[in-house]
Amino acid sequence: MQTLLIVSHPDIIDSGSQQYFLNAIKNEENITIHHLEEQYPDEKIDIAKEQQLLSKHDRIIFQFPFYWYSATPLLKKWQDEVLGEGFGYGTRKKPLDGKEFGLVMMIGVAEREYQAGGEELFTISELTKPFQAMANKLGMTYLRPLSIFQFFYLEEEQKMDYLIQYWQMLMMDKEKSLANREKWLIDQLEKTQNTSAAPNTLRFAIDQIQTNRDKMDELKMVLDDMFLD
Amino acid sequence: MNENEWILEQLNQALQTTDDYYERTLIKACQDMLTEQAKRIDQMEGEMEGTIWSPKRWSE
Repeated sequence: MQTLLIVSHPDIIDSGSQQYFLNAIKNEENITIHHLEEQYPDEKIDIAKEQQLLSKHDRIIFQFPFYWYSATPLLKKWQDEVLGEGFGYGTRKKPLDGKEFGLVMMIGVAEREYQAGGEELFTISELTKPFQAMANKLGMTYLRPLSIFQFFYLEEEQKMDYLIQYWQMLMMDKEKSLANREKWLIDQLEKTQNTSAAPNTLRFAIDQIQTNRDKMDELKMVLDDMFLD
Repeated sequence: MNENEWILEQLNQALQTTDDYYERTLIKACQDMLTEQAKRIDQMEGEMEGTIWSPKRWSE
């Protein structure tokens, strides 16, 4: 699966959260990082090139700081121009049909405020409706978003938890079942094993994850049989 | 100590000797995964036990 990560941030060098996540995918072969402000400092978007880039990828992700409940100005301009008439709408062809679409948002306010009774009043799902509608119109599957709240207040372990979710958002199957997450983690551990300082420990851990999976499958079979009786 | 607990302990030691941040992140994810699996297995075993001892079966 090829993922196109469209990043928009007017001051990306000074953004600690953007740097933290982007550095963690620098060497991933199946992810194309496409930073709009860097690509188009004069904001003149090459529409044909962008449309071609979209068609080459299976999963399209927008990554941006959540400004006034929406994306950055350049990302909105990109949407207006690249997904314009003849490509995004007004044509029988649906060039993005069947692809996946998702959002990665860096949000400055605490998560608890995004609900009825919170200071922001509305949930992230409500506030991101225009993106959901866009995916729907284009025939794309809308993925669960990754909302990263108040990055700078996070403890190191919490940052790591977000990083795992970020990698999964960009590389893993969209179904986040335990079995899929096990499979994904085993793949990552196997890749890391070659350069690890503790390769045997990683091997044991991989085997144990697999043993646990076999046990769960067995238990599931027994339970299914019991309920059939 | 069961195998799961032993491996969690080994992973703890690996966390202390590994400098690479991304490997440390994966090691932490691995610990979380093993803990989540152990909990799921416990729940399934509990469900099985509960089903075996269900009063519905006492008349059989």
